[in-house]
Amino acid sequence: MNSKINKLLRTVFILFVFNFSLPVLAGGSLFEIRADGLACPYCAYGIEKKFMAIKGVKHVDIKLKEGLVIVSGDENLILEEPELKILFDDAGFTYRTIKKLDSKK
Amino acid sequence: MIIKHQQKRLCLGLAGCLLSTGNVFAHDPVFSPGPHVLFKDGFEIHAEFAQSEQGDEKESEQAVAFKYGLSGDWVVGIELPYETVKDDLGTEQGVGDMTLSTKYRFWRKDTLGVQETAAIVAKVKLDTGDDQVGSGTTDTLLGFTYGYESLKWYRWASVRYRFNQDRSIENKGNLQRGDRLFVDFAGGYRPKVNDYREADTVWLLEFNGEYSGRNAFNGVNRNNTGGSQWFVSPGIMWTLRNFAVKAGVQIPVLSNLNGEQDDSDYRARLEFEWHL
Repeated sequence: MNSKINKLLRTVFILFVFNFSLPVLAGGSLFEIRADGLACPYCAYGIEKKFMAIKGVKHVDIKLKEGLVIVSGDENLILEEPELKILFDDAGFTYRTIKKLDSKK
Repeated sequence: MIIKHQQKRLCLGLAGCLLSTGNVFAHDPVFSPGPHVLFKDGFEIHAEFAQSEQGDEKESEQAVAFKYGLSGDWVVGIELPYETVKDDLGTEQGVGDMTLSTKYRFWRKDTLGVQETAAIVAKVKLDTGDDQVGSGTTDTLLGFTYGYESLKWYRWASVRYRFNQDRSIENKGNLQRGDRLFVDFAGGYRPKVNDYREADTVWLLEFNGEYSGRNAFNGVNRNNTGGSQWFVSPGIMWTLRNFAVKAGVQIPVLSNLNGEQDDSDYRARLEFEWHL
């Protein structure tokens, strides 16, 4: 009986770990972008919408206090400065810098 | 008598125009325009409910508006109201005048967590409404607005001027309606800065001033028209990602209306917005 429970728990644990490791195993990319003018979350929605329209972008988060936009996407996602300047201008904000982060961290 | 009745109705129609002069954008104050615009190719769906009382007159308005971001600094919109006016003469209701609007943000200064901007506003209220509630004229509004937004504090200021077109009343005469000047100051406070995907609340306090010139009928000034009023307007702005709810009430604090006119009792407004 105990061994059956242990086996079940082990299976659940493996499935759990595997599930949360998927993005890392898939080797996604992660970018940290600094932008100015981010004063309210409602106004920042345009940034999310613009990034989500780019092929390969999977998720966008915005940290207002730090003025950061965190973009995660496919392994071969490339974000170039000229297109980011236009993207942020179209969203109504000012692009500053971009940094590629280690997505496994 | 008929003309007098029509003039009163017209004044009520003008009050309706007052309700709809708000038609504000996005993260702006409730009763006055701010410099906010939409992102490029963004859509805004806006539903608005407004109510006001002035003496025996009670007016309510429901309006829908659609806006589109031509660029990150330029937005155009269209608004269609439905109005109900009740007074001692009875109740009138119908589709109000359609308004076309545009706003261009010509200056923007972005720093970390702060955005300072200025914009010009233009609106044209068309003569499209039902006779009972429409003003029967095409009126133009031009304005300027400035805004400072930070994560904690907001402040806005705006000035608008509405050029009212003369109106003929069924070949019985010509009514020259006084132009209107609006001056607004507003402040906002965000008690807590939440994460992007969490709900956000900003408390607002506005000071709205209105000056209206006298109406004239066949070149003769009407005594009981025009004047100035100031309102204090507390409000709230609640947002969740791309959805916003705004509400506020205008309370008259200073009134200097010409002749015998009822002071405004209150004006209230509730708005819902979606950005798509």
